[in-house]
Amino acid sequence: MKSAQNKGYYEFFCPVKTIAGEAALEHLAFELSSIGCKRPLLITDKGVVGAGLTAYIHAAMDSAQMEFVGTCDDVPPDSSVETVANIVAQYRKLAADSLVAVGGGSVIDTAKAVNILVSEDSDNLAKFSGAGILKHPLKPFFVVPTTAGTGSEVTSVAVIADLAKGVKLPFSSPFLLPNAAIIDPRMTLTLPPHITAATAMDAMTHSIEAFTCLGKNPLSDAYASAAIKLISENLVATLQSPKDKQLRLKLAQASTMAGIAFSNSMVGLVHSLGHAAGSVAHLPHGMCMSIFLPFALEYNLEQGQGRDVIGELLLYLAGPEVYAATPKDERPEAAIAEIRGLRDELYALCSLPRTLSETGKVERSQLARIAELALDDGSIIFNPVEADYEDLLKLLERAY
Amino acid sequence: MRKQGLHLAFTGKKLYVTIMMETVGRALQALSQQDALVQSEVAGLPQGFIFCMRVGTGQPALMVMKDGDGTLRYLGANAQAEPDLTISIKHIELAFRMLSFQESTSQAFANDRMIVDGDVSYAVRMVRVLNRLESIILPDMVARLAVKRVDRLPFTTKVPLALKVYAGAATAFVGDQLNHIKASISDLSPALPIGKH
Repeated sequence: MKSAQNKGYYEFFCPVKTIAGEAALEHLAFELSSIGCKRPLLITDKGVVGAGLTAYIHAAMDSAQMEFVGTCDDVPPDSSVETVANIVAQYRKLAADSLVAVGGGSVIDTAKAVNILVSEDSDNLAKFSGAGILKHPLKPFFVVPTTAGTGSEVTSVAVIADLAKGVKLPFSSPFLLPNAAIIDPRMTLTLPPHITAATAMDAMTHSIEAFTCLGKNPLSDAYASAAIKLISENLVATLQSPKDKQLRLKLAQASTMAGIAFSNSMVGLVHSLGHAAGSVAHLPHGMCMSIFLPFALEYNLEQGQGRDVIGELLLYLAGPEVYAATPKDERPEAAIAEIRGLRDELYALCSLPRTLSETGKVERSQLARIAELALDDGSIIFNPVEADYEDLLKLLERAY
Repeated sequence: MRKQGLHLAFTGKKLYVTIMMETVGRALQALSQQDALVQSEVAGLPQGFIFCMRVGTGQPALMVMKDGDGTLRYLGANAQAEPDLTISIKHIELAFRMLSFQESTSQAFANDRMIVDGDVSYAVRMVRVLNRLESIILPDMVARLAVKRVDRLPFTTKVPLALKVYAGAATAFVGDQLNHIKASISDLSPALPIGKH
């Protein structure tokens, strides 16, 4: 594989304004009013409300003499066209003029889908499923992520389930991107340890796959390598000091940077396996990423991926001293060992599983089905080396 | 002068891509009749499934359909059919790079050279079928430029299979040309002056 610097061609796009740091939420009202929004609708879920996070948003808006026209807090963990339709009805009934999503991946995807329908003045979400279907900018849209992992605030995709038809509707368009992402450390302060660890490993995987797969390019590499460094340096410390706002902010920023990286260079085998395992065994996505990451890197290395690319990860995972002290031909294995070491620490701190069997939710008999689904997952195309059904099954056996 | 040169290069590339599209379409049909691995991939597609690969929104293009017997049938470049899956290559130059093996199919996806319209899992399956075709009909040295991993087939398996695919594609091409000629003659017949019959 050519190095990113020598890559013959690439595309990079991220027009999302990032508003990050202490008191970032207090900028929301200004950002809304600066583009003429007067009637924003808040989209969130019961967990976010229950954790008291929306109280910060309301306080920030109140103090700027601005308020939401309504709040939709019924978004389930796996959003559906019905959920979207209900929120669209609210938006129209309340004559809202903009959307503010406060939550994780499901809330943000739901808000993106709502924005399609209210902007296109339609009730048929399926009509807009696919890549590049949208031809016009959508309504003003702001995102406040409450997990540090998905990076959905800077990705141009969304997935919504059509439960009646039993299918998932994918959407991909640059118009789905929000006007701004507001990264405030208060939003992730109350995340429990195992979710903090799993979502951070999701972001770690986004950045490592962005850095090692076929779509890598100089700009996505810059975001990916910075994200890997931030997560490596701060994840364990965050778990040990969960109320430290600066540490939380570093993880949240890393997640956004990883999101920018992978939305411009895509992901590979870890995600193919993770999507499949999530579908078959209903494992959380971040947990799947953490489990499969070292196994997939080992597989890629064995199958002939350039050793330099994986070896370079050591610099960001372990720092310049370790990198310089490690002979060049040992760096790829050392990088994978660093990831394994991090997973061991996470297992000790919050029992984040390192293997499929440690989850207690996967039967060996399910591995064949996981391999079948992974083989047809779109992300497998971007993996730097080929993997067929037998290869995937062997990899899953190792990860079991 | 420079403009003329560029136009000539474009015409040459377009001709090459047109020929390659037809070759790939017919080779897919022939391979699906011969190769168990491709047959198992095609088995995972819905009955009557139509796959289209094209440049931009028009030509050159190829279209294949899954038939009732589980094989692929080449429908041509201008078939009036609604594809279930379309892979659109953004420009003739990009199609030329792909079909002249300067850029692999996977790398072309990663470089945003193409747009997929349809179920992505079927696109992944069709990419595997195209990879298998390239592994079989191209010498290993060339196939390595086109696919991530060349299927390791014994020489005694690969060469006869490749010959069958080439022969099948050529036979189908000649058959179609003869049918076109017959159709053209029968179309012309009523218009001919009576004295010429």
